[in-house]
Amino acid sequence: MSAYPQVLTKRMIEHPSDSHRIDVYEETGGYKSARAALDMTRDELVEMVKASGLIGRGGAGFSAGMKWSFLAPPRPAYLVVNGDESEPGTFKDRQLLERDPHQMIEGIIITSIANEVHEAFIYIRGEYPKPARRVQGALAEAYRKGYLGKGIFGTDYDLEVTVHLGGGAYICGEETALINSLEGRRGEPRLKPPYFPAAKGLYMMPTIVNNVETISNLPYIIEHGPDVYKALGDEADTGTFLFSVSGHVVKPGNYELPRGITWRELIFDVAGGMRDGNGLKTWIPGGASAPWFVPSDHLDDPITRDACEKAGSMLGSGAVIVMDDTTCVIRAAERVVRFFSHESCGQCTPCREGTTWEEQVLRRIEMGAGREVDADLLLDIADNISPGLAWPPKMTTICPLGPSSVSPITSIMTYFKDEVMQHIHGGGCPFE
Amino acid sequence: MSWSPETLERAEAIIARYPQRRSAVMPLLYIAMREDGYLTEDGMRQVAELTGLTPMQVDSVASFYGMFKKIPQGRYLISVCTSISCMLLGADDVMSSAEDEVGVPAGETDAEGVVSVEHVECIGACGGAPAVQVNYELAEGMTPESIVEMIRWLRQTKPDVVRADELQERFGGTKSFDPGILEAQGAVGPFPAFDPYGTAGGGS
Amino acid sequence: MGGVPLSELVKVTVDGRELDVPKGQPVIDAAREAGVYIPHFCHHPRLEPVGMCRACLVELETPRGMVLTPSCTLFAADGQVVHTTTPVVKKAQEGVLEFLLINHPLDCPVCDKGGECPLQDQTVGYGPGESRFVEEKRHFEKPIPVSDLVLLDRERCILCARCVRFADEVAGDPLIEFADRGNNTRIATFPDEPFSSYFSGNTVQICPVGALTAVPYRFRARPWDLRKAASTCHQCSAGESIEIDASQNDVLRFTGVDNDATNQGWLNDKCRFGFEFIGSKDRLRVPLIKNEDGTFREADWAEALDLTAGRLREIVEAGGGAAVAGLGGARGTNEDAYVFSKFMRTVIGSNHVDAQMDDGLDPKLLVAVDRKATISDLDSASSILVWGPDLKEESGTLYLRVRQAAQKRGVKLVVVHPRRTGLDDCTKHKISYRPGQGPDVLRALAAGDGEYAAARAVLDEGPVVAIVGRTGLTENPKLAESVAAFVSTLPEAKVMPFARRSNVYGALDMGLAPGLLPGRVTLDDADQVAAFEAVVGAVPDHEGRDARGILEGLEGGELKALVMVGADPVRDVPNGALAARALDSAEFTVALDLFLTDSSSRADVVFPAETFAEKEGTTTNVEGRVQKVARIVAGPGQTQADWSILEEIARRMGAPMGFQDAASVSAEIARVAPAYTGIGWGDLFGDGVVVPREGVEQPLRYQPVDHQMASVSAPFVLHLARTLYDDGVEMRHSLSLHNLAPGARVYLHPADAATLGVAEGDEVTVETASGAASASATFDASLVRGVVYVPFNQPGMSSLGDEVEVTVRKGVSG
Repeated sequence: MSAYPQVLTKRMIEHPSDSHRIDVYEETGGYKSARAALDMTRDELVEMVKASGLIGRGGAGFSAGMKWSFLAPPRPAYLVVNGDESEPGTFKDRQLLERDPHQMIEGIIITSIANEVHEAFIYIRGEYPKPARRVQGALAEAYRKGYLGKGIFGTDYDLEVTVHLGGGAYICGEETALINSLEGRRGEPRLKPPYFPAAKGLYMMPTIVNNVETISNLPYIIEHGPDVYKALGDEADTGTFLFSVSGHVVKPGNYELPRGITWRELIFDVAGGMRDGNGLKTWIPGGASAPWFVPSDHLDDPITRDACEKAGSMLGSGAVIVMDDTTCVIRAAERVVRFFSHESCGQCTPCREGTTWEEQVLRRIEMGAGREVDADLLLDIADNISPGLAWPPKMTTICPLGPSSVSPITSIMTYFKDEVMQHIHGGGCPFE
Repeated sequence: MSWSPETLERAEAIIARYPQRRSAVMPLLYIAMREDGYLTEDGMRQVAELTGLTPMQVDSVASFYGMFKKIPQGRYLISVCTSISCMLLGADDVMSSAEDEVGVPAGETDAEGVVSVEHVECIGACGGAPAVQVNYELAEGMTPESIVEMIRWLRQTKPDVVRADELQERFGGTKSFDPGILEAQGAVGPFPAFDPYGTAGGGS
Repeated sequence: MGGVPLSELVKVTVDGRELDVPKGQPVIDAAREAGVYIPHFCHHPRLEPVGMCRACLVELETPRGMVLTPSCTLFAADGQVVHTTTPVVKKAQEGVLEFLLINHPLDCPVCDKGGECPLQDQTVGYGPGESRFVEEKRHFEKPIPVSDLVLLDRERCILCARCVRFADEVAGDPLIEFADRGNNTRIATFPDEPFSSYFSGNTVQICPVGALTAVPYRFRARPWDLRKAASTCHQCSAGESIEIDASQNDVLRFTGVDNDATNQGWLNDKCRFGFEFIGSKDRLRVPLIKNEDGTFREADWAEALDLTAGRLREIVEAGGGAAVAGLGGARGTNEDAYVFSKFMRTVIGSNHVDAQMDDGLDPKLLVAVDRKATISDLDSASSILVWGPDLKEESGTLYLRVRQAAQKRGVKLVVVHPRRTGLDDCTKHKISYRPGQGPDVLRALAAGDGEYAAARAVLDEGPVVAIVGRTGLTENPKLAESVAAFVSTLPEAKVMPFARRSNVYGALDMGLAPGLLPGRVTLDDADQVAAFEAVVGAVPDHEGRDARGILEGLEGGELKALVMVGADPVRDVPNGALAARALDSAEFTVALDLFLTDSSSRADVVFPAETFAEKEGTTTNVEGRVQKVARIVAGPGQTQADWSILEEIARRMGAPMGFQDAASVSAEIARVAPAYTGIGWGDLFGDGVVVPREGVEQPLRYQPVDHQMASVSAPFVLHLARTLYDDGVEMRHSLSLHNLAPGARVYLHPADAATLGVAEGDEVTVETASGAASASATFDASLVRGVVYVPFNQPGMSSLGDEVEVTVRKGVSG
């Protein structure tokens, strides 16, 4: 891992036992960027972040600087840090929150200054009490030193930061659902238009919603400048990226890497290759919502946003789930579809009804009660959620959760149709 | 209502962190769970009064999220992740092993009210699959055997505080990442051990 | 629909046709108006769009290609090109309908909604022909009550959220909501907190499936068996547009009709379900004559009419027309009221008539005030003042309209009332006060003193619309008039003096008030009186007594006889004991009524009258809007319309009034009532007509007077106010509603209760100069200290009169 440049994980590797403490943070250069940002104008900061090419690390991959520049004029504006990490396969934000909370806090300060925000909220999923405790402790340290609260760093800029714990709902990671949750409502996504957070977000005021990892990149960008940050990666995929690798690899874990290496490098070098000497069957490149890749077609592709999209999938949250040849892909697909059915908020008809119907059909197929018509039925249900089964997906739904449930279905029907039909004709799972 | 003056004071301090009272619904629901051990009707009424909502509006929010339990749980809530990454590494076997040892199907509590076991979706510990949480404190790299040991230990020693690091040390295997310093905090019931605004402590 | 300004039109192309559409109008509505129907469930023109059901998806042309978007959340903008019938759209629509049906139970044969069901209809038009679903459907326990009036079937529910949105957005009663999420989402109420909103019935009407059904209608009929008639609600004075549904000879249901001028489709539950009295078995069917021993015997019309005409003629010959008085007329049609008014003036020769029950305002203020507001004026006001009853209790339509103005149109609301009201949560300034001290509050508010400065400043933002009325029955009606006088000094101000009962505005317009002749004419207006007399006959010139004066006169013997038309003074006047004594003292009383009530049972002769839905005619609402009421069922037994009974009596008194049918009455009204000039039944389609119509002058334009009153105080003061459900005659015979009345209660501030040593639930006795009553105590922290609130006309609660001073003590009276 040390062969690759480190931005986000440097401190936690070099200080294994206390990287989360403010004294260690400051000894290693922390809070310099926040001070520098206080002397910069909003335009300067926005331009710098735009120039750095920093894109969102939550899954949507939108330019952070552009997001900031869309912030509508009315004030007060709010910053909400999205720590609702719930996409299956993703566990990088947990590490960032637990091991280097001050990095994120400094990023919050910078983002707030850039966007005239005086109240920021860190939404952490309910299943992460330990990361939340760590963050709360770090906030307490920052408040004590006057880096947060009234008049930060001796200026007249006020900034309050509050940790808000979620309640166990993946959909709250969607930015408008998160905002609804933060307002004390059901975590249901809002219609966009008109409820783009930059215009009508928290309490209908302009709001920036950024992922934990995205925000954590900011101290480095301010300190070293956008060009250095860009050079860590390349023009299209700047900086570094945290990959969460899990599944049938020897060394699962979070890896900070530039984009551009190949899948082969990631799976076989960085993550130590397949366990038990098994063969690589398939992998999910970007979290449960992403269509799957197979070795024959994708192993030597570079891991870049562009290459992934051209291949009909996405980099998403950087969660790589690797499956070896002992895996029943129908069972795996059913498990992913079940996730979306459980996590559907229930507002809109195609997702609420469709994801559960998909799950029911897949389960029947997996258990051996599949019928000949079920293969086409499955695809048609999927088509009624995501018309044309296109990529990027079209939606009949309010938000992309429904269409995400289509990814495993199109993946197994594209690459493993024979296994599907084996289940149906054979009346059971050939892997049992 | 039933909350003590100190609790009401805490509630007001939490409400004060938000520009609108209604935003405090979720942290107040956790306080309600802390007060009664689970989310009772009275707890929801109290939250409604404090936030200016009707009890049904509070119930509507509470029931949306999986962690607000309206049915009493055991003293130790074991959440077994069975999402894709954990499933690939054998979580289904860990789950059935847990069900057998606890003696109830997933979603229920044992007759003594000590251990509940439930399915959960991805808890963000995929590097240490299969992963479980006890009262939302994480133990990774579990096996069908180690979960049985953990359940037996919980039933025998009945610890007042469940600590992630202790669980991991005793029963866990592969971890997603190095946790760094071990900590003394932990959970005292089937709700996340996080106290906003003042009494959290956490790391140092 | 719903306030989209027509000033700016944009071009939107729908299926190749270019349309001129108001900017911002939802495309689904624009398309509908152009004859293009797009299937939908969650969309409702009176609710904020949510784009949840996804049935209304259309394809919108964008630079990035065709985009599927819901047409309910697509707001018309110039140059939009929309396609509603492409293969992609059709597949999406079919897909959505299939998704809705997979868990929907096959209940059609037993479901109330069958035959008028948007899911049935749109499945036929836009859905799949067969089901492909072979899994287990979702199951729930069903039906479950969500309130006394509404049942919920969760299996049928398609989770469109119309009921949730209505309850929260429109009614302000968020008691019904979604619970759980995803596939487990269901509608729920909180345990022990049912959906007992006064507006719950609207959710049954707008539910697009049979998930919400109404207890009074459940399993009663099939839509294709119903006869329907457009009519106007008769319960309260807002004159809501309704459709009456009847089968055979039974009225089975009322539904709200969307009239933008008045109720916009909504009805409160009393208006909606308050029809059961029509078909009650206790309805009077034949005339009754009182025996010596006080019991009644059935009689034929000839005997009863002869007896009545004979007794009245005797009394008139002995003491003059002024020995006879008339009470009532507010519950019938304008035609009934006019004939009653003509009967009393020209046949009997008396000016002692009153349609109010000593519980209203000066009739000149009510019907003829200058710069009278309409309901839609509330939409375009800058600020609204409500100083009167709790509108949620007394006028659901005005309550919903004011609420909408405050919440959706940014209108600033100032509410003045002795305790909490349904509007408090959307009020900018709420002023609470002790009954009796209104005059001081008015002076301070008008001057903007101290704590009233902010509220006063709001009222300087015109246009101002004020709804003024008595906040309770112990409040001097002159206060409301003084408030109206203050309001007339405000910028671009219009005022709506409020009275609650049924067709009271129509009755007063027909001259059922001392000092008023039909058509907003006072007896002081010599020219107008002469014009009236020329057509109709001589009008007496003695001073007329109002309801209180009539009852006092009967008690004291100055008045000898009483004609009651649809009136129950023993229950409706604040001093019920006085009314009882008055009726018992009278030498002769005749009542035209539907039931034997506390009042009609004291009469010497009782005639069985037709009621609402059994007779055709017109009514007039709080705005002065004249609307039609329809006849759709025949009255039971030998019932007759009020006007017809009075015509028969007049004939037998030798002074026939000349009416053959209701239409002939209407024709005479149009001739002799100046404000009603030119109003014929044929003019009243749609929204009716606000009288006087364009070009017609009403002789009386009343300027409200500031009566410069003094405040009254006492250690404890009584706030005697009405609730929606009470022990009124029609309520008692509408079984679904009767048990919803709060019952006998006394509300005390907790601190006052503490000083009296009263715990919640203890029996307490309240006593005024007029009477005493006992009931259990309920705490109400919204009361000002020292105020005792007693809901009026509740079962088991005796009358307390209308004095403001009251004493309270623990324990039962006697």
